[in-house]
Amino acid sequence: MRLRVVFCGLLLAVVANVYAEERPVGLDWLEIAAFAGHQTDYSGVFIYHYDNRVETSNIIHVAEANGEYEKLGSLDGPKREIIHHDGQVWVYNHHQLVHVGSRQGRNRFPSLLAEQLAALSANYQSKLLPVERVAGYNTQVILFQPKDNLRYTHKIWVHTDTGLLLKAAVLDDKNKLAELYAFTQLQIGGKIDRSWVKECDSVLLHDNELSSSAETAKVITTTNSGWVADMLPSGFKKTMEIQRPMHHGKHAPVTQIVFSDGLSAISIFIEPNDGDEDDVNGLSSRGAVNLYHKILDKNLVTVVGEVPPRTVMQVLDSVRYNGK
Amino acid sequence: MKQDISALMDGELFEDEAENLLGRLTSDSAVHKNWSVYHLIGDVLRQPEHIHSDLSAKVRERLQDEPTVLAPRARAVKQNIRTYALSAAASLSAIGVVAWMSLQISPEVAPQMAMQHIALRPVSMHTRTNSNDYMIAHQEFSPSMDMNGDASYIRTVSYSRDEVVLQNNPSEKQPR
Repeated sequence: MRLRVVFCGLLLAVVANVYAEERPVGLDWLEIAAFAGHQTDYSGVFIYHYDNRVETSNIIHVAEANGEYEKLGSLDGPKREIIHHDGQVWVYNHHQLVHVGSRQGRNRFPSLLAEQLAALSANYQSKLLPVERVAGYNTQVILFQPKDNLRYTHKIWVHTDTGLLLKAAVLDDKNKLAELYAFTQLQIGGKIDRSWVKECDSVLLHDNELSSSAETAKVITTTNSGWVADMLPSGFKKTMEIQRPMHHGKHAPVTQIVFSDGLSAISIFIEPNDGDEDDVNGLSSRGAVNLYHKILDKNLVTVVGEVPPRTVMQVLDSVRYNGK
Repeated sequence: MKQDISALMDGELFEDEAENLLGRLTSDSAVHKNWSVYHLIGDVLRQPEHIHSDLSAKVRERLQDEPTVLAPRARAVKQNIRTYALSAAASLSAIGVVAWMSLQISPEVAPQMAMQHIALRPVSMHTRTNSNDYMIAHQEFSPSMDMNGDASYIRTVSYSRDEVVLQNNPSEKQPR
């Protein structure tokens, strides 16, 4: 009940917005989906298809008074279960729930900032497609077509009643599937198992002193590294530039610069090259994410993004140091 | 002799030779053993659950240790072939699902996907150029999965299968 009221309220606000600013309606659906994902209680099974693999997982998401709780579990392959709440992460390790630390810098709702949406509308053409049925629910289908061939097409299926994202696909310029995420079974609202919520609360209570979030916050710092990339596709704006630990702390901290066009992102990682690699020139990919790296002077430079391989390579080739 | 037994099993011996061999099966223990083994191998290949001999345990063990390598590739670092092989097996059966799902996207895509070979994509497992680390680090700040809420950790869950190491050092304190 509460959900419906909230959702209708948002829908009204969004519709009012549309008339006020004449913003493409596709973007409104994005915002609706982002909102619904955080506010809705749901439990279901989804598949994640990338490359030639299909992986099935289950997910339970509940919005409690003290925030959201989400449990994600693998249904094939080795059993893995992850719980998120309030920026913290828990993992089941040999049937014991273990607190493993915090996530950094996730954008939360209202997560789609005005600039991000503006960037999106400048770089993608959004188009409403006919309603389709997914996991037994009617969904509005929205296509985000890039205005150049340096990024992927995104397509989303949003439940018309609750605004929940039920299916999302990334397609390349040949309309070939790069990545797909889709619910196959879904319960929205109603009686949802919450027994695990109390469990992770009790583990956190005991782990408070050992919580690594404070320590992690100390070692991640914003920076002005002096590195630039000249050939970023138009519309990609820098969203952050940080110094962070990586590789399980076994090497020097890494500079990470993130650029986004509102729908996808590109990260550039720069770190000193200490001669540890035996094969450096290479492109690898997973689903919609492509990665390319090379040695530049005395540095290892890696570019990662949900953009086509040619874009990742183009960006990497244009990285240079512009500092003092 | 082994050839004869195998021919007998395949029904390729002439009647008189078969009779002769069958006679020896009952009397000669070495021949009998070979007969058992060949039948066992046949059983195992057809129905691993219904094995009924002592030899079975060892044969099953050997079979299980053989990895199902679909696309051999060189690795610089030790990897968990079995985990990868298990995922590959899952992909094989799931490809039908995928083809069906892709019909939702575009009819042109489906035939392509149905015909694609199941190739294991090599993940760079070299010391520092491990793609996993970078992809996970990138995911933390990427908006593209933000609208899926926390489903961005789908990728983390997938990545974790190939590299069974927790990203942060977990505080292994037991809950009281």
